[in-house]
Amino acid sequence: MSALLEVSGVTKTFDGFRAIDDLSFSVNEPELRAIIGPNGAGKTTFMDLVTGKIRPDAGTICYGDLSRDLTKMSEAQIARAGIGRKFQKPTVFEDQTVEENLTMALAAPRAPFAVLFRRTDARVAARGAAARVGLEDRMQTPAGVLSHGQKQWLEIGMLLAQEPRLLLVDEPAAGMTSAERERTTEMLVEAAKTRAVVVIEHDMEFVRRLNCRVTVLHEGHALAEGSLDHVCADPRVIDVYLGRQEAADA
Amino acid sequence: MRFLLALAVALLTSPVAAQTGPVQALLQTHAEDIAKPSRRTIQPVLDDLAASDLPAMPDFLEAWADKGVVRHDADGLFFYGTREGDIYALRSVEDGTDVGEVARRDASELKPNAGVRKLIATALVQFQLNDPDPDRRRAALDSLSRNPTPDLLAPLRASIEAEEDRLIRNRKEALDRLITIRFGTDQTARLTAIDWMADRISLEARAALNAVLTTDRIVGTPPEGANIARTLQVGTDITAEVALDLLADEGIVPDAVSRADRDAALVANIAGAAVAGTPVAQLDTEEARWTAYAALSGTGLAPPRPPVDAAAILLAMNPITEVYDEADPAITEAAVAALAQVDARVARAQAADMTLDAVSLASIYFLAAIGLAITFGVMGVINMAHGEFIMIGAYTGYVVQQIVPDYTWSLVIALPLAFVVAGAAGVALERLVIRHLAHRPLETLLATFGISVALQQIFKNIFGTQAVPLTSPDWLAGAWSLNDVVGISYIRIAIFVLAAVFLALLVYILRRTRLGLEVRAVTQNPGMAASLGIDPDRVGMATFALGSGIAGVAGVAIGLFAQVTSEMGAGYIVQSFMTVVVGGVGSVFGTLAGAGLIGGLQKGIEWLNPSNTLAAQTYMILFIILFIQVRPRGIVAQKGRFVQ
Amino acid sequence: MTDAASSSGQKYLGGAGAGPRPLIARADVLVFLCALAFVTIVATLMAQAGWVSTSFVKLLGKTLCLCIAALAMDLVWGFTGILSLGHFAFFGIGGYAIGMWLMWSRTEGIVLETLSRAPLPATPLEIEEAIGSQIFGVVGSSDVPALWTFAGSLPLQLAFAVLVPGAIALIFGWLAFRSRVVGVYLSILTQAGTLALSLWLFQNDNGLRGNNGLSGLQNIPGLSGTPQSTLSLWFLWGSAVALALAYLLAAWTVSGRFGSVLRGIRDDEARVRFLGYEVERYKLAVFTGTAMACGVAGALYYPQAGIVNPAEIAPIASIYLAVWVAIGGRGRLYGAVIGAAVVSLASSWFTGGGAPDIDLGFYEIKWTDWWLVLLGLSFVAVTLFAPKGLGGLVDLWTARRAMRRQGDLGPDQGALRAEEESR
Repeated sequence: MSALLEVSGVTKTFDGFRAIDDLSFSVNEPELRAIIGPNGAGKTTFMDLVTGKIRPDAGTICYGDLSRDLTKMSEAQIARAGIGRKFQKPTVFEDQTVEENLTMALAAPRAPFAVLFRRTDARVAARGAAARVGLEDRMQTPAGVLSHGQKQWLEIGMLLAQEPRLLLVDEPAAGMTSAERERTTEMLVEAAKTRAVVVIEHDMEFVRRLNCRVTVLHEGHALAEGSLDHVCADPRVIDVYLGRQEAADA
Repeated sequence: MRFLLALAVALLTSPVAAQTGPVQALLQTHAEDIAKPSRRTIQPVLDDLAASDLPAMPDFLEAWADKGVVRHDADGLFFYGTREGDIYALRSVEDGTDVGEVARRDASELKPNAGVRKLIATALVQFQLNDPDPDRRRAALDSLSRNPTPDLLAPLRASIEAEEDRLIRNRKEALDRLITIRFGTDQTARLTAIDWMADRISLEARAALNAVLTTDRIVGTPPEGANIARTLQVGTDITAEVALDLLADEGIVPDAVSRADRDAALVANIAGAAVAGTPVAQLDTEEARWTAYAALSGTGLAPPRPPVDAAAILLAMNPITEVYDEADPAITEAAVAALAQVDARVARAQAADMTLDAVSLASIYFLAAIGLAITFGVMGVINMAHGEFIMIGAYTGYVVQQIVPDYTWSLVIALPLAFVVAGAAGVALERLVIRHLAHRPLETLLATFGISVALQQIFKNIFGTQAVPLTSPDWLAGAWSLNDVVGISYIRIAIFVLAAVFLALLVYILRRTRLGLEVRAVTQNPGMAASLGIDPDRVGMATFALGSGIAGVAGVAIGLFAQVTSEMGAGYIVQSFMTVVVGGVGSVFGTLAGAGLIGGLQKGIEWLNPSNTLAAQTYMILFIILFIQVRPRGIVAQKGRFVQ
Repeated sequence: MTDAASSSGQKYLGGAGAGPRPLIARADVLVFLCALAFVTIVATLMAQAGWVSTSFVKLLGKTLCLCIAALAMDLVWGFTGILSLGHFAFFGIGGYAIGMWLMWSRTEGIVLETLSRAPLPATPLEIEEAIGSQIFGVVGSSDVPALWTFAGSLPLQLAFAVLVPGAIALIFGWLAFRSRVVGVYLSILTQAGTLALSLWLFQNDNGLRGNNGLSGLQNIPGLSGTPQSTLSLWFLWGSAVALALAYLLAAWTVSGRFGSVLRGIRDDEARVRFLGYEVERYKLAVFTGTAMACGVAGALYYPQAGIVNPAEIAPIASIYLAVWVAIGGRGRLYGAVIGAAVVSLASSWFTGGGAPDIDLGFYEIKWTDWWLVLLGLSFVAVTLFAPKGLGGLVDLWTARRAMRRQGDLGPDQGALRAEEESR
C-alpha cells in the first residue's frame, strides 16, 4: 500500500480566519476513510482544496504514482486525473435524463472537439453505470423528477462512471431514509474495494456502519486518526466534542 | 393750453434749450480743432481734454471716435447725435440727456480720419484705464492686449500705481511687460520683462514670448549678423518636398510638376497615337508617364521637373535656416528659456484642469451609477431600465420648469420631486417585474431591458423626439476660473457637491441606520439575513426606491448641462455598469473608486488624443475589459468565503 | 485516458433502428426543414406570379438570415447559458466584410468605365485614387485605408466575414472565460465590448466611412444586368439553404454528449468542471463558433439590406437578438427561429405602416410610435408569464399527442418547478 493522496502542511486563510491550519493527511489505495469533525472544522474547505476549487496559501497536495502537485492543476485536470467529488447537496443535471447524466460522467475523451466529432454510442455503458446504483429502469427519466435519495445515488453513479481512483464524498447520508442509508453504505464499501474513498460525515451512526479508519478534523488540522472507537476514546477528541457540547448547553 | 404745449415742444426741440456745462465749455475752447481735426494738430487738444479729468470726457472721446458727435451749425455747440432719417436726435455732451432734434442739414457730423481716431483711442484708453468702473478698465485692457501699441505704454504704467483691484493690477503689470518685450528698445528692460513673464501662466504671456520668437525661413547663406534660430534638417524638420518648394521659390530649381500638370502636358502633346515617341496605350503606369514627360521636357515641349534625384546635393548646397525677426540673440535666448518655463507651468496647470474635469466627470458617473450599485449589490440583479430613471428625473425637472418659471425655485422643487417620481417608478418596477424573477438574473436583465425600451418610446411619444431644455438658474451659469488654464463651470461644481452629499447620505444610511444594517446583511449573505428575520422583499423595495430616486436626482443634474432626450439614459447605462463592475459590487466606496477610475481614465485618454471623444470611450472600455482580467471582483472586492 | 467503455461504437449520426434516431429523422428537424422549404417555394411562386413585391421577398430573405443569428444566439445562450450581448456585432462584422468587397468592386467598375474615356490609359495609382475618393469622399478623405487592402478579392473578404468575428470572439472569449467572468458580469462585458466596437466604427477616420457605413450593397458587381427581383429570389434561396444547414449543424451540435455538456454548463458549470470537462474550452468553442455563424448570416443579410452602418452593431441590436430568442423560447432550436421570424416580421408590419392605427376617440394609437412600447411590454410579459416562449406552445401540443413522451425541457424548468412548489 502506497499513499495515493498526500496532503502536507496545507494552510488556507479566509480574511484572517484559518479554515485549514497546517493540515497533513494521507490516504492509500484502496482504502475507505471517514473524516469527522464539528462544524467549522474545515471539512468542506479540505475537499475544495483537493479538488482545486480553491488554492492553499502554503503546503503541498501530491497525488498518484507520479506525485503530481494538485495545487497547480485546474479542477477539470484534477477530475481527469481520477479524483471524483460528491457534493453535500445532490448536484445532478435536473433537466437531463439519467442516461444523459451518466453518459457525461463516463470515462471518455473530454476535449470539446473529441466530444463533438467522435460520437460513440455509450448507451450500454450508461446502462451498466445505472445498474450499479439501481437506476437502470429510470434511464429516460429527467433527473429533476427523481427522489432525493435517487438523486444522491445518481450522483454516486456518475462518480463511479468516472472511474476515479480517489472518491471524495461529502455527507452522503444527509436527508436519506434509513433504507436509503443502508443502500448507500453498501455502495461506498463496495466502491472502496478497488479505490480510495474519503467520506466526510456528521452522522456518527453512519460512520460506525462504514467500519473504517477515521480522521478527526478540528480547527483546520487533524486531531486524531484511527478506528472510530480509538478516536472516540481520545481525550482531545472528547474535549473538542464535549467542550462544544457544554458551551452549547451553557 | 394747446399753445403752451406747442411752445413747450418747440422749446424742447430747439438745441438752444441745451445748457452749457464744463465739457461743452472745454470743447468750445478747441471748437475748430475738434470740428476739423488733423493728426498734426490734435494731440495738444487731446492732452488738454485728458488733463481736464472730467468724468464725462471718456464718453465724448468714445463717441467722437465712433462718428457719433455732431456740431450744430447755428451755434457751434457739440452734441451726441443719432441720425434718424432726416433729423439728428441730440443728447447733451454733459450727461447724455435728450435735448431735442435738429434737421440733418442744420448740423454736421464730425468725421475724424483714421489717424486721428487712433490718437483719440489712445487718449481714451488712458481714461478707461483709470475709469472707476472695473468692467471698463477690464475692457480697456482687453482692447489693449488685442492690439498692443507702444504709445499706450506710458498711460498704462501711469495707471498701475492707482489701481486697487488686485487682478486688474496684475493684468496691467503683465500688459506693461508684454508691450515692453515687444516694442521696447532697452535690452535690459526687455530682459527683465521676459524674466518676469517666465513666472506667468497666462495665454498673453505665451503670446508675448512667441511674438518675440517669430522666424523667417531663409534659403542659402543667411545675412551677416542674423539671429539664427536653427538650420533645418531635411527629413526631420521639413520634408524634401517642402524644401524643394522653398528652393523653387528662390528660383534655384524649377517648380514642382504635379501629376495633373504632367498629364495635361502629355495629353496636349499627343501626336498620332504617341507622346514623345511612346505609344499612348503604354502610358498606363506612373513610371511610363514620368518617362514620357521627361522626354517631353527634354525637347522643350514641357517645363522641366526639379531634379528629385539631386535633391540632397541641392539642399546641402543651399541650407535652409530659420532666422529670428528679433535681431538681439540675448533677447531670443531669454525668451526661449522663459517660454520653456511657461510651457512647463501651463502643462502643470492643464494637468490640474484635467484633474478637475475628471473629478467632475467622476461625480456624474458616481451619481448615475450609485443607484445601480446599490440595487445590484443587494438584489444581485442588473436593472437595464436604470438609465430610464435618469431620464425620468430629467423630464420631471423639465415639467416642473414648465409650471414654475423661476429657475431657482423650479430646481429646488425638481430635485426632491425627481427623487420621488423616479423612486416610485423603481418601486413599481421592483414589485411588478423584478420580484417575480428572483434568482433569474439574466431574465431580469432582459425583462428590465424590455421596460427600458417601452419607457423610452413612451417618453418619446409624449415629449417628442426633440431635446427639451432644462435651464439652470443664472447663479449656476458661468465658470469659476483660477487662471487662464484652470477653470470649471459652476454646474459641475454643483454636481460635485450633489455627489458628495449623496455619498455622505448613503454612507450614513448604510452605516448608521436600521435599513443600512439590513441592506448590508442582505448584500453579504441573503440566506442568513432572511433567517434572522430580515424581510428581503422589504429591503429590496427600499433599496430600489433609494437607488432609483438617486438616479432621478442625477437625471436633473445631468439635464442641466446635457440634452434632455428620451434616449439620454441609454448613454449612461453602460458607463454605469462599468463603474459598478470596476468598483466592486455592493460597495459605495467601490462605486466611488470605479467612478474616479473611469472618469480619470476617460479624461486622461481624451487628453492624449483630444480630438476624439469616441476613441477615448473605445479605449476606456477596452481597458476595463483588461482590468477585469486582473481584478475580476473590482477595486473594492467583497470578501469572505461565501462570495462565489 | 481510455476511450469510452462502450462496446457498440456505433456512430450517432449513422445509427438506426435501436440506436438514436438520425438527425434528419427527428421530428423537429423534419418539420422545420419542410416548413422552410414550403415558405421558400411559396414565396418564389408568388413572386414569379407578381403577387408579392421584391421588397417583401427581400424582407423574407433577411428574416431567414436573422433566424441564423437567432440560432447562434440560442446555442450560446439557450443551451450554454452565456447571455452574450454582442452576437449581433459579429453579424454586422460579416456584413462589413462582404460590404467592403461589394462596394469596392462596384466602384471599381464605375471608375474603370469613367477612366476609359480619358485620353490616357489609367494607371493603377489613378484607379486607386479614383476609387478612394468615390468611397471615402464622404468622410473627407481619398486615401485607401490599409483595412481595404484585400477589398477587391471576394474569396478573401468572404473568409474575413467568418474569420474576423471568429478571431474577435476567440480573443474576447479567451480573456473573459479565463478569468471566470460569468452571469450578468459576462453579459455586461460583452455589451461593453460591443459598445467599444460600435463607437470605433462611428469614427470617421477609422477607414470604414464612420457613421455613413457601407451602402449600395444591393448592387452585386458583375450582375448589374440582373434585375433586383431576380437577385432577391437568389438571395432568398441562398438564405434558406444557409438556414437549413445552420439548423442541421446546430441540431447536430446540441445532440449527444456535447449537447449534454453544454446544457450542464448552463445549469451548473462547477459540477461539469468536477466531471473533468474544461468548461472554459467548451464555452470558447461555442462562443467562437456561433460568432462565425453570425458572420456568415450577416454576409448574406446585408447584400439584401443594401446598407450596413455602425448603428446596426450598437449593443441594442444584440439585446434584441436575445429578446427574439427569449420570445421564441430558448433552449430549443425551433424556438429561436420562430422568435426571430415572428418578431422581425411583426416589427416590419407594425413600423412599416401595415398595422391599422387604433382610434380611441381621445387618442389615436399610431403603431409606428407605439410598436416599441408593445414589443417591450410583451417581452416583459413573456419573461414573466411564459418563460418557455412561443416554443412552449409546441410542448402543449406534443404533450397532448403523446402524454408519456419526455420532451426536451427548457432551461427554466427548474425555476418553474420551484415556482410550482412555492404555490
